[in-house]
Amino acid sequence: MIEATPATLGRPSQSLQRVNPGPGTNSSGKPKFTKCRSPELETFSCHWTDGVHHGLKNPGSVQLFYIRRSTQEWTQEWKECPDYVSAGENSCYFNSSYTSIWIPYCIKLTSNGGTVDQKCFSVEEIVQPDPPVGLNWTLLNISLTGIHADIQVRWEPPPNADVQKGWIVLEYELQYKEVNESQWKMMDPVLSRSVPVYSLRLDKEYEVRVRSRQRNSEKYGEFSEVLYVALPQMSPFACEEDFQFPWFLIIIFGIFGLTMILFLFIFSKQQRIKMLILPPVPVPKIKGIDPDLLKEGKLEEVNTILAIHDNYKPEFYNDDSWVEFIELDIDDPDEKTEGSDTDRLLSNDHEKSLNILGAKDDDSGRTSCYEPDILETDFNASDVCDGTSEVPQPQRLKGEVDLLCLDQKNQNNLPSTDTAPTTQQPSVILAKENKPRPLLISGTESTHQAAHPQLSNPSSLANIDFYAQVSDITPAGSVVLSPGQKNKAGISPCDRPPEVVSLCQANFIMDSAYFCEADAKKCITVAPHVEVESRVEPSFNQEDMYITTESLTTTTGRSGTAERAPSSGMPVPDYTSIHIVQSPRGLVLNATALPLPDKEFLSSCGYVSTDQLNKIMP
Amino acid sequence: MDNKGWSLKAGSLLPLLLLVSELLLGQSVDSLPICPTGAVNCQVSLRDLFDRAVILSHYIHNLSSEMFNEFDKRYAQGRGFITKAINSCHTSSLSTPEDKEQAQQIHHEDLLNLILRVLRSWNDPLYHLVTEVRGMQEAPDSILSRAIEIEEQNRRLLEGMEKIVGQVHPGVKENEVYSVWSGLPSLQMADEDTRLFAFYNLLHCLRRDSHKIDNYLKLLKCRIVYDSNC
Repeated sequence: MIEATPATLGRPSQSLQRVNPGPGTNSSGKPKFTKCRSPELETFSCHWTDGVHHGLKNPGSVQLFYIRRSTQEWTQEWKECPDYVSAGENSCYFNSSYTSIWIPYCIKLTSNGGTVDQKCFSVEEIVQPDPPVGLNWTLLNISLTGIHADIQVRWEPPPNADVQKGWIVLEYELQYKEVNESQWKMMDPVLSRSVPVYSLRLDKEYEVRVRSRQRNSEKYGEFSEVLYVALPQMSPFACEEDFQFPWFLIIIFGIFGLTMILFLFIFSKQQRIKMLILPPVPVPKIKGIDPDLLKEGKLEEVNTILAIHDNYKPEFYNDDSWVEFIELDIDDPDEKTEGSDTDRLLSNDHEKSLNILGAKDDDSGRTSCYEPDILETDFNASDVCDGTSEVPQPQRLKGEVDLLCLDQKNQNNLPSTDTAPTTQQPSVILAKENKPRPLLISGTESTHQAAHPQLSNPSSLANIDFYAQVSDITPAGSVVLSPGQKNKAGISPCDRPPEVVSLCQANFIMDSAYFCEADAKKCITVAPHVEVESRVEPSFNQEDMYITTESLTTTTGRSGTAERAPSSGMPVPDYTSIHIVQSPRGLVLNATALPLPDKEFLSSCGYVSTDQLNKIMP
Repeated sequence: MDNKGWSLKAGSLLPLLLLVSELLLGQSVDSLPICPTGAVNCQVSLRDLFDRAVILSHYIHNLSSEMFNEFDKRYAQGRGFITKAINSCHTSSLSTPEDKEQAQQIHHEDLLNLILRVLRSWNDPLYHLVTEVRGMQEAPDSILSRAIEIEEQNRRLLEGMEKIVGQVHPGVKENEVYSVWSGLPSLQMADEDTRLFAFYNLLHCLRRDSHKIDNYLKLLKCRIVYDSNC
C-alpha cells in the first residue's frame, strides 16, 4: 500500500515521518531499517534489524519493497529488493542498474505482508564511502635533538570510489595515537591522499587510521585499518636533552639574590645615598667644629678646635705682625693669674688648645678671608681683608671681654654679644654664647660707640665693662688683661684711671699700639714690649687668647693685681676691644689708653678712628 | 587529484597530449579538442575556468545544504515535511544523466548545455526565494544571507559556464532553454503550513540540483582538463 503517492502537493502522510530509525534493539519486535548507505554514489544498500527477540526467526517473512520516481510521476509499483544477499543478512543491495542518483527512493519493509517500516531518501544523501586502503608511512626527518620525528602517511582511496574520473570527490581524516593511549588525536580533513604527521616521539609506537567522506557530506565512512608506526630508536645522545640544566631557575634565583643584596645595600646606605642624590646645602661652619660642641658650652674644647683651625690663623696673622703677638710675659709669674685671661694670655701654656689663632707656629695658613669655613659672622669683610684681619680676633675678644665686664659690672645691657673689646689681639672666645663669633664680630662699632661713653668715663667704667682693660704690659711685650677683677674686688676692672693709660700711651702710641684704658703700669711696662709685639711672634700664646667668661669672672681682681699696686683704683677691664687695626699696625683700644688731647677722643673708648689715630700717632 | 606540481606540469604538456591523443585515438568523447586550433593559450585558461567553476559549484552546494538543514531544523521539525519522495523539482523535466554511466556517455558539450539550463532555471526561483525569505516571519538571518549568497554565486557560475561553453564550442550559441519555475504562488500562500512546505520543497530541490551541477562539473573538469585522471 502506497499511502503517500499523490502527485500533487498535499499533506504528507504520517507514515513517512521517520527517516532514519535509531539503531539498537527493536523493542517492539518489529524489523526496522537501520541504515541505507551508498559507498560510491553508484550503488546502495539498506539494512534492517530483525525484530524477533524470541529467537524464533521467521525466515523470509521480511521483505523490502522499493519504488523510485523516474519521471515526474510515480509510475511504478513497489518492487521487491533485487538482492537480499550481497550486503549481508537483513539487507538489500541495489546495484548500479537499480541506482539512480538525484532520484527519490522509497523503501518499505514488510513482515508477513504487513508494512513495518518505510523510508524515503535520495542516493546522494546517503553516501558514506568505504575506508581508505593501503596505508603506509615514511620517515620525513628526525629533529636535531633526536627525540622527535616527522612522518608522512599515505593511503589509497577506497577502490570502489571513482575519484579518478571525478564522479565522487572524497576528503579524508587521519587519526593517530600512541599505542598505549586511549584517545585518538584528530587532524583536519584533507583532500589529498597523504598527510604529514609531525612531532612523534622516537621512543614510542603509534597507531594511525584514516576515514573518508564525500565532500559536502557530513557523515564519514568507516575507519581504515590501523597502521602501526614503529619509529627508529633514539640515538644514545638524545637522552642528554632530557636533562635540562635548570638555567631558568638559576637565573631567577640569581636575580632574586642580587635584588636582595641591592636592597640591603641601599637600605644600609640610605643616608649616604641620600647625600649623593641630594647633597645637603653646606651651611657655614668651621671645619672640624661640631656645632653641638658649641652648644654644650665646652669652651675649652671649642677653643682647642678653633685654635687648631688653620683658617683662623690668617685672620689673625696679618702683615700686621704686632697684632699677632701681643706677647704675654709668661716668664713673669706675677703676671700670671690663674684662670684669668691675663693668665691665659701670659701663660706659655701653649699646649692649651685654646688657641684661636691656631697653635700652629707657622705663618702659613693665611687663608682667604672668604673661606666659608672661617667665621661665618660677617666680619667686616673689608676690614678683615684689607689687612686688618686682626679685627675679627679683637672683635672676638671684644665680645668676650665685654661680656666679662658686663658680667662684673652687670649693668651693661650693651649687646655685649656684639661688642668686641678693643683689646689686643688675643681673641677671646666665649663659649658661653652659642655663637661667640658672631658675638664678637657683629655690630662692634655701634656697640662700641655705645660702650665708649661709659668706658671713657672712668667712673662709668665702674659700671660698664665692655672692654677688657689692659692691665699690664709685660716687658716681653705681652699684654695683661684684667678679667673683671674689679667687680669682685669691688672695682670695675673696666675702670681705669685714664692717667694710667696716658702714662704709657705715648709709648704705646709710639709703638703704634692701640690700647684702651691701660694703666700706667701697663703702659710703661708694656711699652717696650709693644715693639716686640710688632714682631710677629707666633709663639704669642695664642692659645691663651681664649678667655672664658668663667675664668674671667673667677679671676677678678687677680689678673694684673700683682702688677699694679694701685690697681684698686684702676679698673682693668677684662677685654679691650680692638676696634680698628690699621697701619701702622696699631690697635685702637679704649680711648682712655690714648693720650688724647680731647675728651672727645677718649670718649670713644676702644674705637679710634683713623683720623684720630693719626692725630695721636706721630 | 594529484598534487599541484603534477597539475602544473600537466597543464603545460596537455595541449601536446591532446593533439597527439586526438590524432592517435581518433574522435571519442573523451578526447574532443578543447581549444580550436591556433588558440594556444586557451587550455590554461580553460583549466582556470573549470577550477573556478568547480569552486563555485561546491560553494553553492555547501550553502544550499546548510540552508536546508537550518530550515529543516527550524521550521520543518514535527511538521512532517519529509516528502522528498513526493515532491518534484521544476528541473526534473530536464533530462539530466542520473548515474555515472549516463554521465560518462553524454558528450561534454551536451553536459555543459545541460548545466547551463539548470543554472538558468534557478535564476528566477532564487530571486524569489530571497524576496520571500525576507518576508518570512522571524526571517532568520542565516537563511536569508545564504539565500542572497547563493543567488549571487549562481549568477557568477552561470557567467563562468557560458565562458567555458564559449571556449569549448566557440560560435555555437544555443537557444536559452530552461525550465520555468511556477512555484511562486505556493511561496506566497497565506496558509503558513503550505507556505513553509513550499519553502521546504524549494530548498530541498536547490540542494539536490546544486549537488548535481557540482558533480557534473567535477566530472567535466576531470575529463576535460585532466583527461579523466584526477
